Amino acid sequence: MSDIQSALRETAKKLLTEGTVTCVIGWGETRFPDKTTPIFVKTPEDAEKLVWNAHCVCGLAKYMLDNRCPEGKLAICVRGCDSRAVNRIVEDKQYKREDLYLIGLPCEGKDAPICATCTHRNPVVYDVLLGGPVPEIEVSQEDRFQAVTALEGLTPAEQYDYWQKQFSKCIHCYACRNACPACNCTECYADQYRVGWQGKQIDKAENQVYGLTRAFHVGDRCIECGECERVCPMGLPIMSQTRKILKDINDLWGNYECGLTDSRPHILGEFDLSDRDDFM
Amino acid sequence: MSVKADPNWEPKILAFCCNWCTYTGADLAGLNRMKYPANVRVVRLPCSSRVNPQFILRAFQKGCDGVMVCGCHPGDCHYATGNYFTRRRFMLMKRLLEYNGIDPQRFQARWISGSEAAKFRDTVTRVAGEIKALGPNTRFQEKWYEEGGEAQ
Repeated sequence: MSDIQSALRETAKKLLTEGTVTCVIGWGETRFPDKTTPIFVKTPEDAEKLVWNAHCVCGLAKYMLDNRCPEGKLAICVRGCDSRAVNRIVEDKQYKREDLYLIGLPCEGKDAPICATCTHRNPVVYDVLLGGPVPEIEVSQEDRFQAVTALEGLTPAEQYDYWQKQFSKCIHCYACRNACPACNCTECYADQYRVGWQGKQIDKAENQVYGLTRAFHVGDRCIECGECERVCPMGLPIMSQTRKILKDINDLWGNYECGLTDSRPHILGEFDLSDRDDFM
Repeated sequence: MSVKADPNWEPKILAFCCNWCTYTGADLAGLNRMKYPANVRVVRLPCSSRVNPQFILRAFQKGCDGVMVCGCHPGDCHYATGNYFTRRRFMLMKRLLEYNGIDPQRFQARWISGSEAAKFRDTVTRVAGEIKALGPNTRFQEKWYEEGGEAQ
């Protein structure tokens, strides 16, 4: 792991010295030994601040939309999930692939619960790969949708009760939206207060409507990076909503995983004449 | 007085109808003097794919007891492909609502063409009956409504 870390620092230093990129987004140390934070490296000397260890859990791809370095290319350290997030953002036409330089880092799983059901530990897209590819783990559909299946088995009253209790914790901090690579609208519907889609009051109906709307906005484009759940300060099971949508997509229109390429149209933007029809 | 305690309670059903098929079908039902429950409020839209899933959440929030989305039969869309998108979208939305504890009868989608006045009448009658049996919807409702406020 330390070999990869030194290779990462070398690569970052080289890229910045040569002027290939103006900024490298990676992970840096914090005051806590078991936490890392995203850092923006802009000078070759600062490349020494980059770290690569089991605590690099933050998704980095979303930071490209902050436009901290408007001139020149941007380098991003990408694990499997970050690379799919990059594909997501490029596919959604929020950033040009040619303005990015991706430093691929095969990842054996970090200390985040979502890593247990990660099916793409190796980056799916990169410009340079540091270290050899790691073996992928097999994750069955049952494991992937375990939480969803458990909730599906409840009665409507129990389901409503469960979600109402969960969503009553929501404080409308919008951290899930800010961290989500699929939530890349320039202006979010939740911020359009004049339009009045989303009430600002903390009220269980508003919270549930926010949760459902966000789930439906991103559900069919979700890359299952688990950032929403990781950043939620109130510990809401947000992935259980988006994964429900993914499970239904799998059931209705075949196996579906997002972010593996940067060109496939998303599932609700296309159709098939032979689609199943429940509405006759 | 709370809505829930009202013995003469009648369900409020919102029907999103596409201009080219279902709305014309409903119009034909009226022309033919067909009788159907007055619980249904029709909203005319250019196409069923105009219906944003947020409209449905909003309807429940604002006190509707049931929501319907009606459009042309697949293949008959005035805009050629609109209702194929509707179909995919609401297959997912319906399942998501059910997953969150909304009874399946409260959200329904149907294809009703311009000549199917009888189908419109039958669907609306059936849906109204089902929702009346279920009782008033309190799920997803805003606080002011739960506390017994009047509909806006």
